[in-house]
Amino acid sequence: MEARTTIGPVIWYRDPKAAIDWLETAFGFERRLVVEGDDGMIAHSELTLGDGYIMVVGPPREKAISPMQFGGRATQSVHVQLTDSVDEHYARAQAAGATITRAIATQPYGDRVYVCTDIEDHPWSFGQTVQVLSDDAVAEATGHTTKTGKGV
Amino acid sequence: MTRPTFVPAVFYKDPVAALKWLERVFGFEVTSLVTDADGKLAHSELSFRGGALNVGGEWEGEIVGPARMRSPATVDGVNTQFVRINLADDLDAHYAHAREAGARILDAPTDQFYGARTYRAMDPEGHVWNFTQEVRVVTVEEMEKATGLKVRTSLEGA
Repeated sequence: MEARTTIGPVIWYRDPKAAIDWLETAFGFERRLVVEGDDGMIAHSELTLGDGYIMVVGPPREKAISPMQFGGRATQSVHVQLTDSVDEHYARAQAAGATITRAIATQPYGDRVYVCTDIEDHPWSFGQTVQVLSDDAVAEATGHTTKTGKGV
Repeated sequence: MTRPTFVPAVFYKDPVAALKWLERVFGFEVTSLVTDADGKLAHSELSFRGGALNVGGEWEGEIVGPARMRSPATVDGVNTQFVRINLADDLDAHYAHAREAGARILDAPTDQFYGARTYRAMDPEGHVWNFTQEVRVVTVEEMEKATGLKVRTSLEGA
């Protein structure tokens, strides 16, 4: 197995098998490992895109919950940084039934971004850098102050 | 450095305290801090051994449509996602430091059937963090034997 990136989200779904199918269709992820129990339970799975992977698990137990059981509330979201074709990705996700919560647009910080929720209301954002801007240029465009680097 | 493909965003009631805690206890480094005109945290990015993480405050609103971002601390400890951090080495040392620094340990380091050594901890607002280090390569047959579960590495036969 190839080297893994350091950080990946573990995402809880009420119907994890359906979620894996949908995430492949809508977002273009690819399953590389699925550990399956009885009654549609997924003990562990890894879906890859680019240099990274996510884990889809469920159904929820103990203190874990899917946002669709929870009025759309979520304690984490996932940002996916694409290297190209974010507009095509947007069209694909929409066609698969993702709920677009912010239409695709080029942001003042130079990334083209859209935001959506999936079939169980987990929030996702997808972005692609289309223009590399300095901190000063971003500050001027957004009115925000950005500090980068060690010790900020 | 190229940004990793997947960047989890983790929401807190007190994101500034969370940033400090994540630096001190887990060894993250804040690499970008965006504040609005009132000095309030708008966005932040942390890095850890090549991985990236965003930390933000609770929020909701038209920008994210129906989604409402909550800290587990305001929703009775519930989590909709966990963060998994894959360490190349030194999992036990990372664990010892985190425990010493005050992380609530859910599971002490344990060797798992799938070839990883893992520990789980909780931060002060109730987010769950899974740390893992690969210690040996396990075949699909070994995993199935150890668990009694069905293991697939592709769509074939699904």
